[in-house]
Amino acid sequence: MLEVRDLKVRYGAVEALKGLSFRVSERSIVSLIGANGAGKTTSLRALTGLVQPSGGEVRFENTSLVGLAPHEIVRLGIAHVPEGRRLFPKMTVFENLKMGAYLRTSKAQMASTLAMIYEHFPILEERGRQLAGSLSGGEQQMLAIARALMSRPKLLLLDEPSMGLSPIMTAEIGKIIRQINALDVSIILVEQNAMLALTLARYGYVLQTGALVLQGDAQELLQDDGVKKAYLGL
Amino acid sequence: MPSNARAATVFVAVVALLIALPFVGGDYYIYLFALVFINVILAASLRPSLTCGQLNIGHSAFMCIGAYTSALLAKNLGVPFEVSLLCGALLAAVVGLAIGYPSLRLRGVYFAMVTVAFVEAIRLIASIWVPLTRGNAGLSVPKPSLLGMSLATRTSQYYLALVLMLIVLVILYKLERSRLGLVWKSIGMAENLAQSLGVDIANHKLLAFTLGCFFAGVAGAFYAHFIRFLFPPEFGFLLATNILVYNFVGGRGHFAGPVVGAVFLSLLSEPFRGSPYETIFFSIVMLLTILFLPGGLITLPGKLAGLRRWRPTSGTYAPPASA
Repeated sequence: MLEVRDLKVRYGAVEALKGLSFRVSERSIVSLIGANGAGKTTSLRALTGLVQPSGGEVRFENTSLVGLAPHEIVRLGIAHVPEGRRLFPKMTVFENLKMGAYLRTSKAQMASTLAMIYEHFPILEERGRQLAGSLSGGEQQMLAIARALMSRPKLLLLDEPSMGLSPIMTAEIGKIIRQINALDVSIILVEQNAMLALTLARYGYVLQTGALVLQGDAQELLQDDGVKKAYLGL
Repeated sequence: MPSNARAATVFVAVVALLIALPFVGGDYYIYLFALVFINVILAASLRPSLTCGQLNIGHSAFMCIGAYTSALLAKNLGVPFEVSLLCGALLAAVVGLAIGYPSLRLRGVYFAMVTVAFVEAIRLIASIWVPLTRGNAGLSVPKPSLLGMSLATRTSQYYLALVLMLIVLVILYKLERSRLGLVWKSIGMAENLAQSLGVDIANHKLLAFTLGCFFAGVAGAFYAHFIRFLFPPEFGFLLATNILVYNFVGGRGHFAGPVVGAVFLSLLSEPFRGSPYETIFFSIVMLLTILFLPGGLITLPGKLAGLRRWRPTSGTYAPPASA
């Protein structure tokens, strides 16, 4: 469904991605793991058009994404939950969700998506009129994911969903990621928490300073001595 | 009472008072309030681009374009006021589009610098293009008219200003509460996030900016026929900063902010109008606002209510009203 070949990104003189290749098949969860500065976030930003790659090719369902504007890429069915500031803090929970459906103008479609989302995240319906900035960390993460789902994506890009969350909340987010995947949404999961990423994903890629150093079935990566030592702290 | 119903009640009461004003107040108050209405239009029309996070310190340039266009059309070609007002507003919007398009990629202070340069450029053009504008000798302008009738009395002009202001406010309010308003808000709050949700940021900013220019043109066109004398230095940087100050002193968190700010400051600065003290007055009010009331005047009632609630029952915590 998604094929990335030799993707390169430069920030001025620094080459943040030095030729990354990976693929995501239908209905799968793929994870990119690696330390800070390995190029995980940059690769997501390049997929969604937020930075322009300096080389390489990205194909999504036989459409080339290189050179498309972010809104054109969202329209093709890719939704991005960015890291860091994920919400509009001074908007209500409901307004945040509405922004997620920005490119879906049909009211009926939006209502049905919203009903689906409230079914999975009842807390968001309860807090609908509350300002997003006043939610707890875990609720904010749920809202960010729910908002991405409002655009009815075929492929969801999650950037560090476990960042700053308690272990219990992280487990909860893991459960949610599985549920979303069960709705036939493919997921690229970018994580520093390699344990979480590799237990959820079927296939994993390990990045180091902008390049791919290892790839394989998630179960095998979990057993790999290098991965164990570098990312799992075992 | 829910806050929406309360706001509607306040709005109706204020409009009723304004309709009654000519029956109780003298000519001076009629004149003064018509000027206040112009300032309200200017302040409110700056809000969309401020909401998008653009610091526009050149709004008076578009008022100037509206004023001169309407005045010259009426004076030289005898165009009726309704048409000349519309032409002035449209030209202001077209020029806004032309200026906004290339400067869109500039952010923060760089965008602000373009608007400052532009306001000075327009002022200089109005001063130097003597054959057309009479430059700093000033341009006299015919009275406004409506459907062929000349609006000669101050009272009739006052009602015209009131109606214009209400139309502009209703349009801007409807826009702010629409999907478009939500998108503008999202751009101002987190531009990158809005972009990643598929919002076409450049076009939305341009729309907000151009729309503001259009209504500044409306304000300018009415101003021209009301004051009946145009003098280029009046449309300089100072007026532009005043429009900005109306927004910040009134408060940026709510649609009523710029309206409250424009009314409050226009009335309070009236003794200093046209004198150097006006600038000092605006500076002091702006500083006091930044120091003591960063949310602007519209947050004042909430703060006072908070104080009163806090004293008797110090345990209850009232969540801040959502803006």
